[in-house]
Parts: sequence; structure tokens; C-alpha cells
Amino acid sequence: MSKYQMEAATENCTGCLRCQLACSDLFTKTFNPSVARLRVELSGPDCSIFFTDDCNECGVCADHCFYGALRKIPQEAVQ
Amino acid sequence: MTWGGFAGRVLYVDLTKGTVRTEPLSNDLAEKFIGGFGLTVRLAYDRIAPGTEPLAPANPAVIGAGPLVGTNLPSTSRVYAVSKLPSNGTVSWCGAGGVTFGYLFKNAGYDHLVIEGRAERPVYLQIFDDQVAIKDAGSLWGRTVEQTCETLWREIGRPLGIVAIGPAGENLSAMSMAYVDRIATIGRGGFGAVLGSKNLKAIAVRGTKGLEVADRKAYRRLSRELFKSIREYPYLEEWQRLGLLKSFSQFPVEIYEKIKQRRVACVSCPAGCKDVVQIQDGEFAGLTAYSSSVVNLFTPMLYGFKDYRQSVKLVHDLDGYGLDMFEFFGVMNFALALAEKGVIPRREIDPEIVINSLDSMTAWARKTACREGLGRVLADGFSGMLAEFGPEAHESAPSLVKGMHPYVGPGSALAWNLFGTQELGQVMDPRGPHVGAGGSPTYFARRPLEVFPKHLTRMGVPPEALARILPGPAQGQAPQDLKVGRLLKYSHAWFVTLGSMGICARAQINRFYSAELAAELYQAVTGIPTDLPGLRRKVDRVWTLYKMANLREGFDRKIDHLPDQWFQAAGFKNYVTDRPLGRGEAEEMINDYYDEWGWDPETGIPSDQQLEALGLRDL
Repeated sequence: MSKYQMEAATENCTGCLRCQLACSDLFTKTFNPSVARLRVELSGPDCSIFFTDDCNECGVCADHCFYGALRKIPQEAVQ
Repeated sequence: MTWGGFAGRVLYVDLTKGTVRTEPLSNDLAEKFIGGFGLTVRLAYDRIAPGTEPLAPANPAVIGAGPLVGTNLPSTSRVYAVSKLPSNGTVSWCGAGGVTFGYLFKNAGYDHLVIEGRAERPVYLQIFDDQVAIKDAGSLWGRTVEQTCETLWREIGRPLGIVAIGPAGENLSAMSMAYVDRIATIGRGGFGAVLGSKNLKAIAVRGTKGLEVADRKAYRRLSRELFKSIREYPYLEEWQRLGLLKSFSQFPVEIYEKIKQRRVACVSCPAGCKDVVQIQDGEFAGLTAYSSSVVNLFTPMLYGFKDYRQSVKLVHDLDGYGLDMFEFFGVMNFALALAEKGVIPRREIDPEIVINSLDSMTAWARKTACREGLGRVLADGFSGMLAEFGPEAHESAPSLVKGMHPYVGPGSALAWNLFGTQELGQVMDPRGPHVGAGGSPTYFARRPLEVFPKHLTRMGVPPEALARILPGPAQGQAPQDLKVGRLLKYSHAWFVTLGSMGICARAQINRFYSAELAAELYQAVTGIPTDLPGLRRKVDRVWTLYKMANLREGFDRKIDHLPDQWFQAAGFKNYVTDRPLGRGEAEEMINDYYDEWGWDPETGIPSDQQLEALGLRDL
């Protein structure tokens, strides 16, 4: 079981992709947003953030977010 | 290529032949010219034959992104282009926040793109990793920047980084720019026309290759410290909320809050200075506008617009056409002055030129972008108007620097009156007026001189130069004077440092970086052994080569012309004393600037010994 549950606040997202960069760096040792385990899609004023099936909710994406668009909530807090 | 950070390839596109090819990036050139801005200058220097017309097929458009672009270091998305621009014929750098274009281009496996020739019909360039195609753009031609980007995103899908032009670029206006992801501008001075002259409507790129850094351990240590310093910055939240509006108190925050839809960041940026806004009421309710800052959307209010909604609507339309707003307003004011004097025939003024009228300005924006009626002359900017209307026009000309409207100064959009490096830099940058402070502390009004040494050291000013820039009565005492011309050398050098790596030069970002940190980051990312003295030498090489690219076109000190209006009533003032700036004083600053570089103050030409020392003699 993962340590965290991830929450996205898309209204705060600016599309900086630091989350995808951090995720790909952690899992592949390369900066490659295309293989990240979450995807941010910014389209004009609209934004969506989703996590792939591979995401283990480690929270590294939230650690690197400057805008409060991602939060990691400890599982014990969720339960 | 074994270094980290670099993708390791250059993509060459010949639109006349319809061919594309890639070549490995030269290790030697990359090491000598840093990357990004520096390498773009170097590649362009080889391919711009002196005397080439800016809109000729032979004039290349060279685009590049530095070795830090694509990493998660803060605000490392910058994209640069170098080409000869039609507004004044100089070899010019063009820069933009890369939004998504920079990292996608690097991830596609390229550091630079060299575009030459002219397609027979409108095309766009599609780059998907190794798959590069020149595609028909017939259905996009004539469309606005926004329509072009939306069409490509809809038909191709995201992620997709886009550089696109509007009708002004297609119609070869000297006031045209290109746009990155529709929200950032690149190439004041007519870069849009350079792409338009090639029948190139857009460049669309997607990359999936990823990027590695050479020394992960050092990288993690340095990036962690940088990340922490930004996190702890007390004004970060305010900056994220307001962006550039924080520095422009003349614009209403409450209106911005009302229309704000989203702040947008270039990839990896913690500040997010770009804006998406939507008008909520009135005639234009529902109109969504995109801009590199809401400050741009409000700028027509500085020209007398009373209703912010009309201001936003006009800039939205200018951006759609791909027209430089600052140059447009300058040209329209000039046209109005010439019309009032009867220099422009009455029949040509249709509709009436009313600077603070949306209807009038919208009509003239279209006429200019599409070269309709008098717009065929206005599209060529000030130089076109001066050529068309002769000596009488010269008498009424506003302050011009290298054929363009200064961005800052008396009679300009930003009427800041203290003469710092940004103000002098409008004259001393070979390309002429542009937006950008280069990180100098004079960007902010009347800072006490005591704080300058700290900032100057951070920018990489060597200790022996500090006393020349800030003369004081004795060592250790507070400086008494500021030599703006000497400081400008290091402001340009700091700009080269940031731009060549790919770091944003905005004051709110570069404050977190230092030249020493930049050297460490460069070494960690690329693996190229780098210390501060070595980096300084490379930076000097880059800016000197940029100067040489213009000197061989004949652009020596003679074109470093200071406008008369700067020294008249309500002109510039000395940054330190607040006294009116004299022409002799400003000319002395130019002497200082050249002296600090070690270039001939009479001509601006570097000596043979300097070129030898910088390894530029053979060029």
C-alpha cells in the first residue's frame, strides 16, 4: 500500500510540468515528461491532471510543485 | 556527443529544396560557446553572409535552446533565435520564454534548428522526434496566431510546442513577431516577417527522448538548494498571484483579479508570469486573451484607452495579427503627427487615426498587418515611413534608436526616466531597443549604491571591475558614483550567461541565480569542467562574436545614436544624481562601455589581440 493519496487542485496549476519532470527523473533517471506517471494537460484556461496506472503515489510530484496544484495526503490521515 | 544536457544534434531545414537533415552538434563549438544563445549566435555567424537581405531566402533563422532546457532547474525554458531582422537590418537575437516549445524541442533530440531557403507555397514544419516533415499550410495561411495554434493542437494533439506567425508576418511587416505556444512573443523587429518570407507559418514539435544530466549527485545538491531558496522567498506567493502586475502599480489589481482565468508558466518555472484572462461583461464578454503578461493587455491604457475591456480586446487582436504592440503604437502616433502636418495626404487617412479609440486602432491594425491602403507603408515601420514621406517626415520623427521605437524612455510606453543599463542598453545592443534588464540592479529605481556590490558580484562582475563601476573615495567606503556604461558590459555578460544556459533573465527569476552557481550547474548538467573565470571567458567570446556579426555588416559606433528627445525637457535623468542627463554624459557612458570591453571607443571594434585571446581571430 502506498504511503500517500494524491490530490490535484487543477485551478492552481500553471502547466510548469515540474511534477512530470520530477516523476520521470525519479523512475527513469532522465527528465522526460512523456514517461511520467502523471499527466498535466493545459488547454487555454482549462486544465486536467491525471495519474497513470503505474503511479504508486510516492508524492514526489507534489514535493516539486510550487503552486499547490498537487498534494500528498498521508494514508493515515485519509483513513 | 557525450555531454549531459545537450540533445547532441542540429536540425537543418532547406525550404527551397524541401530537404531536412541532422548533424551531430560539434563538441568543440558547444564547449566554446556554452549553448543556447551563445551557440545560436555561433551557428548564425557562419550562415549569414554579410549583406544578405533580411527577407531573402539566404537569411537563415537559427533557433536554439540551452543545455539546462529540459531539466527541472527553475525557469530553464528559454528559446533564442538569431537572424537578420527587417526593422533595421541588424543581426539580432530574439528570445522568448519557451513555454512548452523549448523542452519538447530538446526532447525531440535537437539543440538547434537552422531554417534556410523559401518554400514555394505556405508550409509548416512538423517535428516528432526523428520524424521531420514539411507540411502544407495552405489552410493556415491568413489565420491569426491563435487560430493557427488552436488548429494544430486540435488536429495533431498535445503536447505540441508551437512557434507561429500571424498575417503581419505573412505580409512581411517589420513590426511582426513570432509567438511561442500563442502566449509568448519572440523577435521584436520583424522575426515574424523572416519566417513569413520563407512561407513558413509555424513550427510544431513533440519530443519523447528525455534528457540526462552528467553528474546527478551534484545536480541534486545544487537544485535542492535552489529549490529551497525559492520556496523561502517571501514574495513568491505575491509574484505567483500577480506576476508582472506586482511591478506596475498604475494598473488596477482588482480588475485583473476579476478577469484572471489562469496563470501560465513556462516549463519548470516557479513564477508563472503568463496570463489567461477572460472579459466578464460588456460588449466583449467571453473573450479570452493570452499574453506573456496581463501588463501587455493593459498597456493601451497608457496610450489613453479608458476601458480595460477595449484595451484587452485591442491587444488580443494585435497578437492575433502577430504585431508588436509597442512598435504599432509608435508608428500610429507618428502617422497621426504626419497626417496633422499634411505630410500624409488626407485621402490616405481612413479611418481617422485616434490613438485611444478601439475602432480606429483595430482598423489600423488590420490595415497594417494586411498592408491595405496606407498600411502598406506602416507595415514597414519607421524606416519605411521615413523612406516614403521624405525629409518632412524626418522633422516630425519621434525618438528612434536603430530605426525602432525605444521601449523605455521619454515618449515611450514605459516613461521611466532614470538612465540605467536597460535604458543605455537600448542603444548599445546591436539589435536596438528590446525588453530586458539583463539582471542589472538599475532595473529598479534608485537603489542605494551600497547594495550594488552584492548584486554585481552575483552577476559575475570580477572584483577588479567593481571599483571601476562604483568609484568611491576609498576602499571599503560607500560608493559615490555609478558608471552605467561600464556596468552595462556585465549586464550584457550576465544576460549571455543566463541565455546560453537557458535560464530566464527576468529579474524575479535571475535573482535566485549567480554566475558562480551558473558555472556549477553547467558543469553538473553537461559534465564540461567549468569555473567562473572560464565561464566569463566564454561569455565574452559570445557577445564579442555577436558584435562582430554586426560590425561586418557595417554597424559600428556610428549607429549607436542617442535620440535628441532624451536630452530635452522631461528627458532622462542621471540614475544617481537625478539631474537631467546631458548628451555628453551619455556619450561618455558609451565610451565607458567600449572601454570596459576593451573595444575601440571610436568604432566599437575589438582589437586583433582580443580576438586572438578569445579564439575568434580565424572568424
